[in-house]
Amino acid sequence: MKSFFRMSYPYILWIGFFIVAPMFMILLYAVTKGGNNTLTFHFTLENFGRFFSDPDFMRVLWTSLRIAFITTVVCILIGYPAALFIANLSERKQTMMILLMTLPMWINMLLKTYAWRGILMNFDDLSSEIKVFIGMVYDFLPYMIIQIHTAIAKLDRELLTASYDLGANKWQSFLKVTLPLSVPGIISGVTLVFLPAVSSFVIPKLLGGGNYVLIGTLIENYFLVAGDWNFGSAISLIMALIIIAAMYVTRKIDRGAEE
Amino acid sequence: MRKLIEFRNIVKTFDGQVVLKGVNLNIYENEFVTLLGPSGCGKTTLLRILGGFLEQDEGTVIFDGQCIDKVPPYRREINTVFQRYALFPHLNVYENIAFGLRIKKTGEDIIRQKVSRMLSLVNLEGYEKRKVTKLSGGQQQRVAIARALVNEPNVLLLDEPLGALDLKLRKEMQRELKRIQQEVGITFIYVTHDQEEALTMSDKIVVMNAGEIKQIGTPLEIYNEPVNAYVARFIGESNIVDGIMKEDYKVRFDDKNYECVDFGFRPDEPVDVLIRPEDIAIVSPGKGVMRGEVKSAIFKGVHYELMVETKTGVTKTVEMHVVTQHDKENQQAGEKISANDFFVDAEDLTEKEMTDADFVRIANAQAWDADNRDISLTKVTHNIENKPGVYEITFSTEKGTAVTVKVNVVSPEYVEDARHNIGISALDFFITAEEIQESMAISTDLKTWASAEAWNLQDDTSVEITDVKFDFDPATVTEGTYKITFATQGREYKVETTACHEVGDRVGLSFGPEDIHVMHKEVADA
Repeated sequence: MKSFFRMSYPYILWIGFFIVAPMFMILLYAVTKGGNNTLTFHFTLENFGRFFSDPDFMRVLWTSLRIAFITTVVCILIGYPAALFIANLSERKQTMMILLMTLPMWINMLLKTYAWRGILMNFDDLSSEIKVFIGMVYDFLPYMIIQIHTAIAKLDRELLTASYDLGANKWQSFLKVTLPLSVPGIISGVTLVFLPAVSSFVIPKLLGGGNYVLIGTLIENYFLVAGDWNFGSAISLIMALIIIAAMYVTRKIDRGAEE
Repeated sequence: MRKLIEFRNIVKTFDGQVVLKGVNLNIYENEFVTLLGPSGCGKTTLLRILGGFLEQDEGTVIFDGQCIDKVPPYRREINTVFQRYALFPHLNVYENIAFGLRIKKTGEDIIRQKVSRMLSLVNLEGYEKRKVTKLSGGQQQRVAIARALVNEPNVLLLDEPLGALDLKLRKEMQRELKRIQQEVGITFIYVTHDQEEALTMSDKIVVMNAGEIKQIGTPLEIYNEPVNAYVARFIGESNIVDGIMKEDYKVRFDDKNYECVDFGFRPDEPVDVLIRPEDIAIVSPGKGVMRGEVKSAIFKGVHYELMVETKTGVTKTVEMHVVTQHDKENQQAGEKISANDFFVDAEDLTEKEMTDADFVRIANAQAWDADNRDISLTKVTHNIENKPGVYEITFSTEKGTAVTVKVNVVSPEYVEDARHNIGISALDFFITAEEIQESMAISTDLKTWASAEAWNLQDDTSVEITDVKFDFDPATVTEGTYKITFATQGREYKVETTACHEVGDRVGLSFGPEDIHVMHKEVADA
């Protein structure tokens, strides 16, 4: 047993150095203010106060959440029918379709976003927000489709037969059997789309134009442009808390669906 | 009784394989009908066509006087209990049962009434809020039945519903299902491969095989008057023997004429004769219509199942010479060698093209060194000719250690039994006491040593030698000559009796004309 534990040391080290320590540093930066040196820390909650009291920051936070939410909803609306369609194909075609769906995921996101920028440049009358939506839905849709498809594909076909047998037509059977039983797939799809969407900074930056600011861009700016690591850390921490809360809520919904 | 369902010439093919070959079947109101047959006989396919989940290639299904070929499953007044239950895992017991009613937009108070009535019908009161995935197999089964019955269908289809349950629970559910069917008074169509289940519950049994209906009848008719050997074997235990119908009420089998109650056959028509094991009585050897010897007796709980041999098969007796083997020693090389004299069939020499390796095996020739390690025999010389006589064969090793033994080439002496169409042959052989003592399966080894074989004289196929008789004790056998008799399967009757009989007892068998059931030979399918 002991030697077995010893095998986990490299991983513990890894986690310690690259996950726990940076997190701790973000926490440290968030609750201190500039002018730190190795010996003295100026603990303060000023950073948080600054964020929540500035209507501009709140607006950016709100926009980010709204964009992520709408992106997720659009992904469900497009992804669910697509997943349902794929799940009803023959096994061979299903594999083929999933492969086609995942193919764009092999290409660097930056590259894809630049490509979209090139395309969308020709459509000047589209608002920045629409362009960001297009980029986000394009990037995150495959995650949604794969999750929902997995949930539908593992459904027992006999359940639908039973539903027809009990008098439900195709539409009723879908609403009462297929849809509720694929909720876990939707939930994991939401997790995989909402979280990266809310903190994305490449897409809004490249597709939204310079004046379209989302929370991810904001964090990036404070770290790299303004050099205010303390405030950047505080925003990151606020984002992390919001994400944890969102995950907690989706988990709850998932459990509720299972009952 | 009113005709409810009519299958007219239903044909169904899957991937070019014909699963149903034109099935015609009428089902009446309030019947408990069982479709009985082995897996792959088409019974489930027929059920699924009725449920509307499969479409037949040819033929028509009439339900309540109307053709329902084009009616989708959700508009048929038929409900199904599925093989693996197919309960909705996201709904509790109550909601599973209420599913059909909710689809029909039934009022909530009526749903509550009906569901609770169903729960008491299947003895699951108080289970409303349970998750179906947490129920036992038997309970899931009950929920599935309730979920189907709550819709008040005219017909309930049950597709091997008890297959996944253990024996005790299955018996309980059989009684339960019969009770439920009688209580709700609708037609049950039940698919199973379990003959006992079919006999227990059905009003009518439909025996199917290979996409065809073989017989339709009440359990009693199917059991007592099966139309052919297939049905007889599928339902219950049976003795089926070849016979000839001499005239009405007289059938000949096992070289004797018997009176029977069957008639309407062609004179001298070859028939299958069925005698159920429980219809044969054991009497003292002089009495009864047959006599025989008890070959095996198995205790089955209420009764014993005896196998009584009334006629021995074809036999062949050979002599076994038990010899002491003299190892020959080659002091110079430090090796020892040994081999047995042996017999060989002159016909085998040519037909089986016997090689040196075969001779090494038959003679049991072996050589070994001082450390008991096997040494290969590199040279075999002999003067064997292809005609009866005594010859010599010499086995030797690389270092020149050699042993010479006698080979008796004999002409084939096999016993033919024209009446049974069986030939049997075996050869005398030499063997050491040590080898007999070391044998793990003496009967099988004796067959090998004597090259015992039996075959069908007509088509030359191999026939099993089922009996090896010998009168020595393998553990204490000494030098000498012993007789060994090989025999093929004789005529055996299975008998069920409550009295205990020892293996080897001589008994008489007794049965009357009414115990004999004569059946037409089944026409072999092309």
